[in-house]
Amino acid sequence: MSRHSTPFSARNMDRGALAGYLFIFPAILAMVALIVYPMLFGVGISFFKTNLSNKWEFLGLVNYLQLFKNSEFVQRILMTFGFTAIVVFFHFVIGGIFALLLYRHGPGTTFFRTVLTLPWLFPEVVVALLFKWIFNPLYGILNNTLLDLGLISENLSWLGSTKYAFICVCFVCIWKGFPLVMINIIAGLQSVSTDLIEAARIDGADGLKVVRYVLIPSIRPVLYATITLDTVWWFKHYTIVWLLTQGGPGNATSIISISVYKEAFEYFNYGEAAAMSVLIFVVCYLISVVYRRVFKDD
Amino acid sequence: MIDSRTNRLISGFFKYLVLVLGAVMVIVPILWMCSTAFKTEQETIQIPPNWIPEQFTTEAFSRLWSEYPFISYFRNSIIIVFGSMIISTIISCFAGYGVTRFNFKGKGSFLTFILVTQMFPSIMLLIPYYKILSIYHLNNTYLGMILVYTSFTIPFCTWMMVGFFKSIPLEVDEAAIIDGCSRLKVFFRIILPLTLPGIAAAAIYSFNTSWNEYMFAQILINDPGLKTVPVGIAELNGQYKILWNDMMAASLISSIPLVLLFLFFQRSFISSLTAGAVKQ
Repeated sequence: MSRHSTPFSARNMDRGALAGYLFIFPAILAMVALIVYPMLFGVGISFFKTNLSNKWEFLGLVNYLQLFKNSEFVQRILMTFGFTAIVVFFHFVIGGIFALLLYRHGPGTTFFRTVLTLPWLFPEVVVALLFKWIFNPLYGILNNTLLDLGLISENLSWLGSTKYAFICVCFVCIWKGFPLVMINIIAGLQSVSTDLIEAARIDGADGLKVVRYVLIPSIRPVLYATITLDTVWWFKHYTIVWLLTQGGPGNATSIISISVYKEAFEYFNYGEAAAMSVLIFVVCYLISVVYRRVFKDD
Repeated sequence: MIDSRTNRLISGFFKYLVLVLGAVMVIVPILWMCSTAFKTEQETIQIPPNWIPEQFTTEAFSRLWSEYPFISYFRNSIIIVFGSMIISTIISCFAGYGVTRFNFKGKGSFLTFILVTQMFPSIMLLIPYYKILSIYHLNNTYLGMILVYTSFTIPFCTWMMVGFFKSIPLEVDEAAIIDGCSRLKVFFRIILPLTLPGIAAAAIYSFNTSWNEYMFAQILINDPGLKTVPVGIAELNGQYKILWNDMMAASLISSIPLVLLFLFFQRSFISSLTAGAVKQ
């Protein structure tokens, strides 16, 4: 019944490219103006010693060389790796377990899904300050509850001691971040065909084997996207840690974003701070390359 | 038979035990926030603390409007958040349609670029933006902040919309074109309405990102009349004296919009968040 004799795809091929560019043009324009341009500007700043207004002294790669010589910077990077590894690991363990328990509909799943999503919906500032209040050494509910239960004998300064601050910060970041991983895995698991699971069960696979040999391989693309984004997001995280401890006590929780922030907006070494952020980008990119290797081979 | 039934009972029991434990871990801190928000100042620093306020009061909430400029914080947040949400949602719809409906050179690199932008440490853009906004006289303006937030939201919104447009079969376009629709008409009248759940999801993502953003707002906004809600709340975290009830009241109020939005659009949001990844 068609009024045109040429097939659809062939008829559109010639004009397709141009129309395609027109449709993505606004996105490209926005990304070049708002992301690429500032990013190149930032790389530019990293070659200077500057106050960002009237003093621009070209240094070449000196800012970078200084960073590598500075053992403190290397230490910060390593600590940030530790922080990210702990946070992402628990996001996946906790998020993964809840996703497995909730991806099929059953009594109460909607309720639990909603409740377990809540931390993700609260602003980072709110989460940070709420836990700062909970951890408050004098009036905080945590100390008072633990005292009541007889688990501690005196008030502990959770965020003020080098011993506990790092663990507390990790805990809060895990609390805030696991729901997103859970949601992603649930969405992935729901796309796995039930026939496949049934077939595995008939072949005698028990629950764990189904997870290991059917579910995980089926949602590999989702896992890959989620772990890459989650790692990168938390590697460069700032707000929660800043509001909880400002990197302290001492440097106990001074992850890399906080170092960059202090370098730029407390010591006004914009050039060095810009160099640090370029290196963070390189690290994040390398992380994604490693993940791609791990997930695509096999 | 009995064995498998007891097995199922036990595993069901453990399943709900784990879920209840998780829910408790999530709900207890939030309840504590609510409890503190409804207390008087004296009661917040009373030892031992009460879970249920002895003197239930909404003083802290009314102080947000009378003693702190939270009306202005909310107005600023709403203008900036909606501004960047509208821009990034519209642009990402066009891009999503373009990527899934046409063949052109560089499509692959475009998609890769979107993913790579997720790897930029946002702090990498902070220092340049600090300078760039003042070059273009956009510092301390709504437009400046809208553009900054658009830069965060555009890549992921586009990524989500590409996934969503992919899920709509090409045959729908073909049929419409054969019936004599122009490309633009197909896009606006036929395909766009089908992606409404995806648009809602992208809009929520964008809302969530900008509504929560703290670091850039804290650095880039100096004009007290332009401060956003997260900055306002963080400022209650004073150096010497902290009024915890006021802070928790502000926290509670600022969290409500997102929770409501999410409850409303839950289903479409969850499915589209991973649409891009699932269907790759």
